[in-house]
Formats: sequence, C-alpha cells, structure tokens
Amino acid sequence: MSAVGEPARERPALRVALVAGDPIRHQGLMAIIRGGGHAVVEHHGEADVVLVDGESIDQYGAPAVTLGRADCGQAGVLPSDATAVQIDAALLAAAAGLIVRVPSLPSPSFEALDDSEAPLLTPRETEVLAAIADGLSNKAAARRLGISQHTVKFHVESLFRKLGAVTRADAVRKGLRQRLFEI
Amino acid sequence: MASDSKDPLLQLSAALASATASAQSLIVAIRAPRSPPLSGTLWRNNLVVASEQVFPRADAAEIVQTDGAAIRARVAGRDPGTNIVALQLESPIEFDRPEPADPALGALVLTFAADARGAPLVRLGIVRSLGPAWHSRGGGRIDRRITLDLHLSGGEEGGPVVDAAGALLGMSTAGPRGRALVIPASTVDRILPPLIQTGRVARGWLGAALYPVALSDAVSQQIGQDRGLMVLRVAEGGPAAVAGVIAGDILVAIGGTVVGRPSQIARSFGPESIGQQLELSLLRAGTRLTLNATIAARPSR
Repeated sequence: MSAVGEPARERPALRVALVAGDPIRHQGLMAIIRGGGHAVVEHHGEADVVLVDGESIDQYGAPAVTLGRADCGQAGVLPSDATAVQIDAALLAAAAGLIVRVPSLPSPSFEALDDSEAPLLTPRETEVLAAIADGLSNKAAARRLGISQHTVKFHVESLFRKLGAVTRADAVRKGLRQRLFEI
Repeated sequence: MASDSKDPLLQLSAALASATASAQSLIVAIRAPRSPPLSGTLWRNNLVVASEQVFPRADAAEIVQTDGAAIRARVAGRDPGTNIVALQLESPIEFDRPEPADPALGALVLTFAADARGAPLVRLGIVRSLGPAWHSRGGGRIDRRITLDLHLSGGEEGGPVVDAAGALLGMSTAGPRGRALVIPASTVDRILPPLIQTGRVARGWLGAALYPVALSDAVSQQIGQDRGLMVLRVAEGGPAAVAGVIAGDILVAIGGTVVGRPSQIARSFGPESIGQQLELSLLRAGTRLTLNATIAARPSR
C-alpha cells in the first residue's frame, strides 16, 4: 500500500446529533460542532456521531462522545471543560470507530462561584479569549471581531500574561471556564 | 483499659472510637446502576442523602447498611446547587440521629464513607476554614463555608461528618482538588422538603452566561465601579433574550445594586426570585442602557 501520489485526504464533514439539556451549553457546543465544519442533525438515527453533554442515558444508533461523566460504555469520554479542539478530534475519532479517552478524568468538584481577585480581562480580551475557546485561529478571530490580526495578537499576549497561561488551551481553562458562570 | 487510662493519647483515641461508634448507624453504602459504589448519610429513618455530583442518572438504588442489610430506595430528588440527592427508602431504618452542631475552627472532625459491602471507612481531620454563607456554581446557597484538611477520594463523599462529641456537622462533599467540604446539616434540612416534594429545587434564571471583566478607566470614573459582568451568551427565548440583552453587553447593576462579582448577582436569583421583575443596567457600545427582565425558573437539566 502506498500513499505516494495520492491527493491530500479531505477532512470529513460529519453529521452530529447533539444532546445537551442546558440551553447555553447547547449553543456553545453547537458553535463548536459547526466550527469544525460539521452539520448538526436532529435525530440520532441519521447521525455519524452523537455528542452528549453530561450523562448519557441510553445507547444511540451511532457512537457517542460524552462530556463530563465517566461512562465507560461510550466511544468518547471527555471532561466537561474539554476544548473545542479536543471535542472536534473526539468526534472525528469516534465516527471513525475509535475509542477516545483523556489520561485522567478530573474527579467531580463542588465549587463556589469564582470571586477571585486575580487580574480581570478587559471586554476586548474576553472576546478574543472566547474566540480562542471556540477553536478559532488569530486570523479567524480577527475576522469575527472585525479587528486586525495584529491587534488580536496584542490582546492574546496581554491575556496570556494576566492569566499566567502558556498555551491557548491553558488560557481557556484558567481564564474562561473557571470564571464563566450561568445564571 | 484504654478508656480509663490517664495517657492523653489513649484518651483521644478512645474518644474518636466512641464518636465513630455513635455515627455508625448513619453510614450507608449506595449501589446504583452504572456507578462505582457510593457513600450516603441516613438523614431520616426513611431518607438517605448523598452527593449529587457523583450520583448517576438513575431512578432507583440499593442502600446497604453497615451490617450488610440492603434496602431498595427511590431517587426522590436531586439538587446540583447544593450537591444533594435524596433517596427515599422502601422500608424505614431505625437509628439515632445525633444532635446537629456548629463546627469550631481547628476542632477535630471525623468523616465517614462506606465500601461496597457497607463497611464503614473513617478519616480524621480538623476544620480548616470557616466562612459565611456562599453560593455554588450551580446557584445554590450553602449556609456556611466549612472546609476540612482532608482529601476525599472517589466514592468517599456523601457520608456524615461529625465532631469529637459525635454531633452531626453535615454531609461531606469533594471540592476543588478533592479537598473535603461540608454541606451543613442546616442546609440539608432546608433543602430536603422542597426537594422531596417536587424532585428539584427551583431557582431563578436569567438565561445568560456571564464573565467578570475590568472596565476601562474612563468608564469606571463615569459610572463609579471598575468591574462588570460581560454577557458572552444568552439562551434563546430565556428571560435575558426576551428583555433584549445581547452578547457583548456588560451588566453593571441589577435592581439598582452594583454587580461586579459573580456572588453579588447570585443573591438575586434564589427560589423566591422566580416571576420577579428585575431592572438590568447594561453598557452597550459605551452607552448606558436599562432593560427589564422577568426572572424565570432555571430549566432542569
């Protein structure tokens, strides 16, 4: 078997069914699925893969990726604060018939609303961080926010410094998931 | 023997063993479908409480007492806001519930769990910090902030926490990095009646994901506060969306009260807030804006 001379393989666009009870999580996950170039379908029956937020109740007709619960029965098991890149990779892998796990699933933790005195981001830095969380590159973030790539880079550097983050995933975890809350 | 010894170490040991013996009848193991064994606390003779965050989505479970006897139980209600799941027993268990007590900072405490066969597991610690009432990320109000210098591993939360006199402080819960917290007995007692009656605890809902941000110097001077809560998402058809709130708005006050911190807003969304009108003061593109929202009930997950 030889791959030499074969055209570059295209990234498959999947049909993904989404199961998420919380409306805000639902919208966020929808954005991540679409951001990966996949389509969201209504019924599990017509999906290549099912993305389930929280505990899955049953078996689906397609492989499922669950967020936030250790359910060994499913193809993909990710923490609830998995990044857009991780979710996208897990959907592709599960649809291809693979099993996806993280090295160690964080144990559940009952937490207070975060009132920490850590340096706050500005509204613009927050928008840039939200774009990073949706898996956008600096270029795509610049397009979304209607600002130059150079300005995005400036904000990224500033928010990394404030959060003490070393990678984009680190910034999203430290900066966004810990402080974001729903009411 | 040890109990009448004058050796303080033996006296301490005997006191801990005696507090353990008095708590023994409260400790239960819980066998639930698709879940590793969990621990629980017998709260009333027909009711067990356990940790909601580790409890699987299930309608029923089996309660195992320390002597190995098993009783069927029905999931009567769960509240992620206070981390309590209530399990109604099919037949009552006779037990002596210890008096509740307030913890003292630095005092010795015992936490209990059970293994899969119901055998008790004990840990000794001290009250590491005590604070006032606080709000969880799920929006629940916990009457007192009690942390212990202990770490709980999987399946160990949900059991009783007692002081050296054997008095009941509350139910253990795993906080950040597995550090033990206590859900005070008074909070459990307050949450149980609505939980059993309706299966959940209704709380107010705005339908917005909020994020604390720093306001620019110019803006802070103008409105007299240096932080606000930026709206990152609004739930379709939720109270915020209906009121006209859009992503990018910065919430600076509700009902005339400044909100710069998450806990400041949580206070306005307790069970009694549902149906209330709330005035939202927002910054949109640098200008101040006032919208009126009607608080709805938080949808169940």
